[in-house]
Amino acid sequence: MSEIRVEGLTKTFGPVVALDNVSFVFPESEVTCLLGPSGCGKTTLMRIIAGLETPTSGEVYFGDQRVTRLKPSQRDIGMVFQYPVVYRGISVRRNIELPLLSQKLSAAERQRRLDTVVQILGLEDSLDKDITQLDNGTRQKVAVARAVARQPRIILFDEPITNVDAHSKLQLKRSFKELTRQLRQTIIYVTHDQTEAMTLADRIALMEKGKIVQCDEPRELYNHPADVFAGWFLGNPGMNFFPANVVAAGQGLALDAPFFARPVPLTGNGQPGQITVGIRPEHVVVHASQAPNAVEARLLRKSITIGRQYLLAIDRQGQALKAKVPPSVGVALGSTVWVELPLDRIVLFNEQGRRAGLTPSELAGASAASTAARVPAGSV
Amino acid sequence: MTGTNTILEFRGIAKSYGATPVLQDVNLTVESGDFLVVYGPPAAGKTVLMRILMGLETPDAGTIHLRGQDATRVPAAQRNIGYVPQSFALYPHISVHDNIAYPLRLAGVSERDAEPIVQHAAEMLKISDLLKKRPDQLSGGQKQRVAIARGIAKQTDIYVLDDPLAGLDFKLREQLVDDLRGLQQSWNATFLYTTSDAIEALTLADRVAVLAERTIVEAGTPEQLYDAPERIETMRLLGFPQANFLPGEIAERNGSLVCRTPLFEFAVRPDNGAVSASHRSVTVGLRPESIAIASSGSANGAIQAPARVLLQEDLGGEEIVYLDANGVSLMTVVRHDTFEGTIPDRITIALDPTALIVFAPDGKRVGQGVPVGHV
Repeated sequence: MSEIRVEGLTKTFGPVVALDNVSFVFPESEVTCLLGPSGCGKTTLMRIIAGLETPTSGEVYFGDQRVTRLKPSQRDIGMVFQYPVVYRGISVRRNIELPLLSQKLSAAERQRRLDTVVQILGLEDSLDKDITQLDNGTRQKVAVARAVARQPRIILFDEPITNVDAHSKLQLKRSFKELTRQLRQTIIYVTHDQTEAMTLADRIALMEKGKIVQCDEPRELYNHPADVFAGWFLGNPGMNFFPANVVAAGQGLALDAPFFARPVPLTGNGQPGQITVGIRPEHVVVHASQAPNAVEARLLRKSITIGRQYLLAIDRQGQALKAKVPPSVGVALGSTVWVELPLDRIVLFNEQGRRAGLTPSELAGASAASTAARVPAGSV
Repeated sequence: MTGTNTILEFRGIAKSYGATPVLQDVNLTVESGDFLVVYGPPAAGKTVLMRILMGLETPDAGTIHLRGQDATRVPAAQRNIGYVPQSFALYPHISVHDNIAYPLRLAGVSERDAEPIVQHAAEMLKISDLLKKRPDQLSGGQKQRVAIARGIAKQTDIYVLDDPLAGLDFKLREQLVDDLRGLQQSWNATFLYTTSDAIEALTLADRVAVLAERTIVEAGTPEQLYDAPERIETMRLLGFPQANFLPGEIAERNGSLVCRTPLFEFAVRPDNGAVSASHRSVTVGLRPESIAIASSGSANGAIQAPARVLLQEDLGGEEIVYLDANGVSLMTVVRHDTFEGTIPDRITIALDPTALIVFAPDGKRVGQGVPVGHV
């Protein structure tokens, strides 16, 4: 096992810049998910690390070893692709064993590794079956077992569960979590699916336009996006954004926008001007009647969403806002509602769309209000 | 049945390809100004139904009534319906602009009148900067947006959009769902829209028609169908995460009906005497959000059962929790702000028996759970 370090990686395809001067460390024994929309460069980055693609410039290191010019077969990597790569005409057992035979392992060690992956992936009943007797999901499990049992320095997963049925997806996700918990291998997992990344990653490296824009633990990335792209890309639907004014207030600064009942005192570095406020739909608190810190708004539409919550389309003075509220809250709402944005849930972004150096200064009072509005522990 | 505002009606539509029946006895009424979503699993026959409406397929039986007239034999070109087909073909030799303008030209709209329509459609689909390009210079998602723009650029009162967002990436779909809904409202036009995505159907629809097993099994508002499904297919298909189902057996005890499942038993209130002890084998439906993770046996009047947590799936705002309860697989969903940290491996689930819906073997709803102590 080793960490993976890339330095100044750039890859161009004709006029298209697929990777733009990326320097990054994938830590040893961790699962790092490369997440981003199609065309963001995640697959190109993984292929360069695998040796399937040559960078236009920059270097790749596994631990202290520079591998940039090595062939894939010289890099000691395991790979799992979108479609299972397995050998037909031989048993599941042979499929998993074959890569182990080329290594100098004792028979006992070989057996131990086989037993471990077979048990975690739940392949006991399939061991003596031929690959052609298995469904696609089980074949993919065999492909995972092959890659993992060999214990290469690094394992790369390229959208491995995109093409399997829902039941196998669940099993593969469970097995993957169990595998990574027990074996602690260095893994890069490429996906466009935010739920998969949030569920499986130790850390998510979010990519946009050939760059890694943020790398954090899943909840940290979700709760504290470093820029508007991260706020927008994660979430279903993504974060709300609206413009607000930073105004002078006494000695300091305050935030003023139609969705705030009164100017919000700010602390930190900044100056008067325009700023972007971000808040996730599920963090917007909506009341059926007047409430402290809430402003009146129009409810344009409500529709049922995940787990029978309501997704609300709200308008105040021409400014649109989405809110996702529990069923008991949503069902009681008429066409006029009162909206509150808990100050501990708002995120401020500067003109470049990056996190601003300003935060609301009255977080204590606000979080009490928002906690009171949340439903008790239990279901939706 | 037919209201004064009815713009479209399918009556008894049937269609087979060779020996394979695709649609059987499809009946559906669409009111003027409705956003109606025909929702069903892939390959349920949605596209065939839309092609029959467009006049591109002939039904084996049944009639279509459009704007008060029997339109079953009216040629496709005279039906005057805006259409975004599921598999679209753009004209490769002309620009994006001319592709969008093409249906307007066919309809005899002058170039001057067509121009603002094309510009508006392009703006809405965010392809204004692509108007001069040719289709082969576009990505798959861009082509799809051109096809939607072309379908909605036609000036008429009814539009058919056959799964127009399929295959687009998640974030683009989120945006287009808002745009399409806004467009339909501002035009006050009738939209007939197909999808196999439950959240897309619930988000867009004024009314949903569930197409399963070759026919429309049920139609109504999203709330009606979600909260009080009459058919098991509706409960199974319409919702995310999908509903849980348990096998049940009905028995009579002290003059009341009781349903026994592998996990618990509960008293049943039959719908108009529809269920009796003769319905021995039933299926019990339970929405994921109706399963609460109990703190420690404190829930009042609730059915409880021990369960093991298999996987927590993080959607961002919510988590789907996959459970094993005495060998039965269950799913629940919790809002992220309602729990702190991780859920323990072994938990107790609690549910209100009124959330249990009982379906007969033929798929029809026959009863519902009764609150504990109200037999």
